[in-house]
Amino acid sequence: MVHKKYTKKEIAVGVLASLGTIVILTFYLWHITENIRLGYEIGRSENSLQTLREEVKKLEAEKAALLSLDRIEKIAKERLGLAEPKEDQVIYEDF
Amino acid sequence: MHLPIEAYRKKVRKRTRILAFLLTVWVIGIFFRLVDLQVFLHAGFKTQVAKQNQDRTKILPDRGTIYDRNGKILARSIPVPSLFYSPPAEESFELQMKTIRRLEETLGLSAKDVEKIKARLQKKSSFAWLKRKVDAATAERIIALGLNGVFSREEPKRFYPQAKLAAHVLGGVDIDDQGQSGIELAYDAVLRGKEGEVLILRDVKRREYYSEVLVEPQSGKDITLTIDENIQYIAQRELEKAVLENRADWATAIVSRPDSGEILAMASCPGFDPNAYPPSSEEEVNRATRYNYEPGSTFKIVTASAALENHAVSLNDIFDCSEGLIAVAGSPIRDHKRFGLLTFPEAVVYSSNVGMIQVGQRLDPDAFYRTIRNFGFGRRTGLDLPAEEAGRLMPPEKWSRRSLPALSIGYEISATAIQILQAINVIANRGLLIGPKIVSAVEGSTVSGPKKAEPPRRVISEKTANTLIKILEQVIIEGTGQAARINGYTAAGKTGTTQKIDPQLKRYSSFKHIASFVGFVPVERPAISVIVVLDDPQKADHYGGQVAAPVFREISSQVLRYLRVSPQKDLMKAALMANPGREGDR
Repeated sequence: MVHKKYTKKEIAVGVLASLGTIVILTFYLWHITENIRLGYEIGRSENSLQTLREEVKKLEAEKAALLSLDRIEKIAKERLGLAEPKEDQVIYEDF
Repeated sequence: MHLPIEAYRKKVRKRTRILAFLLTVWVIGIFFRLVDLQVFLHAGFKTQVAKQNQDRTKILPDRGTIYDRNGKILARSIPVPSLFYSPPAEESFELQMKTIRRLEETLGLSAKDVEKIKARLQKKSSFAWLKRKVDAATAERIIALGLNGVFSREEPKRFYPQAKLAAHVLGGVDIDDQGQSGIELAYDAVLRGKEGEVLILRDVKRREYYSEVLVEPQSGKDITLTIDENIQYIAQRELEKAVLENRADWATAIVSRPDSGEILAMASCPGFDPNAYPPSSEEEVNRATRYNYEPGSTFKIVTASAALENHAVSLNDIFDCSEGLIAVAGSPIRDHKRFGLLTFPEAVVYSSNVGMIQVGQRLDPDAFYRTIRNFGFGRRTGLDLPAEEAGRLMPPEKWSRRSLPALSIGYEISATAIQILQAINVIANRGLLIGPKIVSAVEGSTVSGPKKAEPPRRVISEKTANTLIKILEQVIIEGTGQAARINGYTAAGKTGTTQKIDPQLKRYSSFKHIASFVGFVPVERPAISVIVVLDDPQKADHYGGQVAAPVFREISSQVLRYLRVSPQKDLMKAALMANPGREGDR
């Protein structure tokens, strides 16, 4: 059997082509995995954004409950000793 | 010994043919099996796979928030955990029930709840609610037990941060967040939004590894009411106080802005906490819109308007009320005292039944009926609340001999508190009827927004309204409504005391009454109008002027201060001079 003898140039081209293919494939794989990783990250961020939004809604509702008027009145009267102003204790600006 | 070459070849060919035949049969077999699997059994296997590793779950939309006119939250849905059971396939029914029984006490499951879960497990269902909308701590405790098949999922729960405040206006929702009464029901379609759907892929251990939203959920729209939480609080607090003091069965109060028809507060007592919906049927009734009663003397506003508008009386006309009674169709109708001779305005100011019946008798029944209808009686006001009552008003052809006199003093007609308030608003608006409204805006929508208000409609002339305002002002200065007087402000109003029908005796009772007061303040540019109705006050004082008028005063004075409506200097000084003792009363 007779083998063809490759020139150095041909070998270099072959090696470069192989390396190029490997680089491209590696880049492609990296790109794919990075895409997936970023996808997961976006998913996590979206979830966390949703959770935070819900938390804000919850806190706003909680704040509204803490500022409910009967609670405020109770604290004002029982804890702080405040009372409703009498008629003559109210001063109107345009008087 | 070796076979000859030709015989050997023949044998090989034969074997090859047999092998080829068997292989062909095998390939054909595989081919048909593939066709069978991929074509004929495809749907069945696909379903089986989907059942094993796919879940299509509904995504409940966020229900819209309800705000008061100043953007304060009155109702909002927040996510809370719900516990459910997804029975592991490898466990026997007995083992599954053992898990449920372990949770029975911790979750407070009733025997009925357990039976429901049991029925689902017997049906081989892959899902059963254990307890919905529990507090976060309970859910964490249960999940921490690590029981096989017990999971938690978040669901929106309606939360009313102000608890009882405006409960009758807001209404409530059921466990699925569907509106059941009040604004929650009237605007359910707007608030609810649209459900979405999510596809969840699970591995062999039923762990979620992929999810995809198939249908995006659409959040419900937010609603802004005309209610002001501060005014609502004042009205509710004063009403509850009045019910306790007067030992009344129930009461209602409404505060509105006459020039726009906006309801600033609508309170009913007894109330309820919509966070623990449903309440008892007695507590749930919004007495302001869903309870008809004979308005009694507050209706004399309409009689007086009709008489003035139809020129049936003049201000100087005198009516003989000296007997203290008048015979109507053979039976007497009385005043609470003998008044002597009264002018037309005095008959209104002192709320004389005898005087007002004589006024009514001067009216043409058709003209009177028309005026009553024009004031909006006998039909719903169109307020955006469900199950509003229309009241009862018979047409003149169905009237008896007693009807006209009875109507003149507010009997033989039934109306709701909101209708009476609408009538006083006609006077406050100098003869224009502006319908009441309770929803001011629906988020980003003009199509499904609040009902379009009817344009203002003239019911009586401005002249008639102005005359009546002067008379109703006198009701508070020197008439039956003196307890409604607010220092520093001019006010106009009318008292009402209605005898209720005794259901056993089937006639008007001398012991059961409805006390009411309706009015507006200040007279010159009415900032608010208020109606107060108390049912069956048990104290010795049961007249509207004694029971309801003071509540009107308390609510109005606080609301005016809150709205920064300044009192009139001269009136305020006169009030303080007349009552110097109050200065030191701290």
